[in-house]
Amino acid sequence: MSGYPPPPETIRGRVAWIFGDDFDVDLIIGVENIKHYDADVLRGVTMQAYDPDFVDEVEPGDVIVGGRNFGYGHPHYPPLVALRNLGVAAVVAESFSPGFWRGETYNGMPLITAPGITDHVRRWDPVEVDWRKARVTLPTAGTTLEGTPPSERVTKIIEAGGSLRLLLAEHRR
Amino acid sequence: MPQTITEKILARAGGVDSVRPGQNLPFRPDHMIAYDFPGYTDVMFRQMHEDFGITELAEPERYLVFIDHMLTKGDEKERDIHKVTRDWCDFYGVTLHEAEGIGHQVAAELGYAPPGRFLIHFDGHVSGLGAFGSLGWGVRRDLLEAWVSGQIYLDVPATVRFDLTGEFRPGVDNRDLIHAIIGRLGADGCAHQVMEFGGPGAEAMSIDRRQGLCGMAMFTGAVSAIFNPDRRALDYADAVARGPYEPVSSDPDAEYSSRHTFDLSTIEPQVVLPGSARSANTRGVSELDTTEVTKAFIGSCASGRIEDIRDAAALLEGRKVSAGVELNVVPTSAEIHRQAEREGLLDVLRAAGANIHTSSCDFCFGYQKPLQPGEKCISTGVLNISGRMGSTASEIYMGSASTVAASAITGTITDPREVMA
Repeated sequence: MSGYPPPPETIRGRVAWIFGDDFDVDLIIGVENIKHYDADVLRGVTMQAYDPDFVDEVEPGDVIVGGRNFGYGHPHYPPLVALRNLGVAAVVAESFSPGFWRGETYNGMPLITAPGITDHVRRWDPVEVDWRKARVTLPTAGTTLEGTPPSERVTKIIEAGGSLRLLLAEHRR
Repeated sequence: MPQTITEKILARAGGVDSVRPGQNLPFRPDHMIAYDFPGYTDVMFRQMHEDFGITELAEPERYLVFIDHMLTKGDEKERDIHKVTRDWCDFYGVTLHEAEGIGHQVAAELGYAPPGRFLIHFDGHVSGLGAFGSLGWGVRRDLLEAWVSGQIYLDVPATVRFDLTGEFRPGVDNRDLIHAIIGRLGADGCAHQVMEFGGPGAEAMSIDRRQGLCGMAMFTGAVSAIFNPDRRALDYADAVARGPYEPVSSDPDAEYSSRHTFDLSTIEPQVVLPGSARSANTRGVSELDTTEVTKAFIGSCASGRIEDIRDAAALLEGRKVSAGVELNVVPTSAEIHRQAEREGLLDVLRAAGANIHTSSCDFCFGYQKPLQPGEKCISTGVLNISGRMGSTASEIYMGSASTVAASAITGTITDPREVMA
């Protein structure tokens, strides 16, 4: 809940799923399950409404792609905990909803805003994400997309594996 | 360099002469606010004491805690949660306001948000304080950053300017406006920016309406919303402010990322379908006039103020809540409850068959009298995602206090202007 291991400089994996615009992340595990943090419970409910085989097929380093305003709604934390448990290493989207962006940045999840991403990817395409530069390379499409790099502060948060870890390093007495 | 009100407030809070959108800087909020809620404040309390080793606060007066959730069961769990909060506030010398109403309203009444102030909260509805020309920003878990360091890094937001003309027609209010804005601009129309309201329509708008409007900013993607302080805001602030304050306003030539004009006299009553407040779910009330409801709710930080209660009472006076509907009314604060009682409004509502409840957040998040499977509620609450007010198999429609009152009378979603006619 409080953070994750820092990501490698370049995240290499596949596009494990592509969501549409205004996507409410609570739907990843279903609104009935948004208070659960238990890993086994989460695994059992993750992406069931979209692809029951998702939890077996996703691999560490894979990323999720979203449309505009990804994370819209009233986002709870367990859905992204569930994806993290399965190895999802970043979210790349056309744009992020501010509340979701803030909450998951706190948790140390690399969130890359890459306009045009949904036009260039299909599921399971290989992808490389240089999160510091917000650079997304898509070998299948032969394209590289560049978003706005994270601020210095957000870079530090991701490097630390989340804001709590950074704050502890800075302010623990 | 010309600046918006938001940029001026942030420049002061950042200790710099000016800021520009896109800069990431540390800012010192005037107040760092939370309400107690399991999984949030209890965790933060423990983290500060045990993980950070903080045993004393340099400036406890900048911290502010409200108990406004989980006040209506009186069970052991509630008592335990609030005891942890009281003990923590006592230990650190932090001011606690308990059961005085919904914090986002009580903060205004108690003078924490006069023009020019910068306030953060983990809850985004703190943006309602923008009604007074103060900047309220919901930062989620980053509140911990401010609580342990006294400052918070934020991206300076650009500002979207809304030029309001005309005045609301009877039966139409701020609630209809925010959904009309979402309908036109989309759920990310103001993403990562601040909504600034101005123009003659803004000047003519009452404080209650401004609070309700600003408090819903997040559903446009905005990080906050604000009015430039005028005579109304200054009069309110002068009566309640705790200490001196410095009002600031946008320069006439301030830069905005975009400008939109809304003529308030053309706004129609809006209803939001169950799910979320995005534009695809936003409808004119007439499109839903065959939708039956079993519950009706007037309250939350986005409604339940004296003008909302007056509107509901005007519609319900001499009428009855439909036999198939339960209408629950929760004044936004204890002060508003007392005022509504003095004005005889609550007696009107009771005579019509409404239930009046003590002020808290408990209906809006499904804690008090949760919706049962199959129920349909018309609500002034802030959120209508599945399960928000109870069962995930219930449905929540959202509208203004007038629309909720009119719907409670007829038992189907109803245009308040039809009941007025």
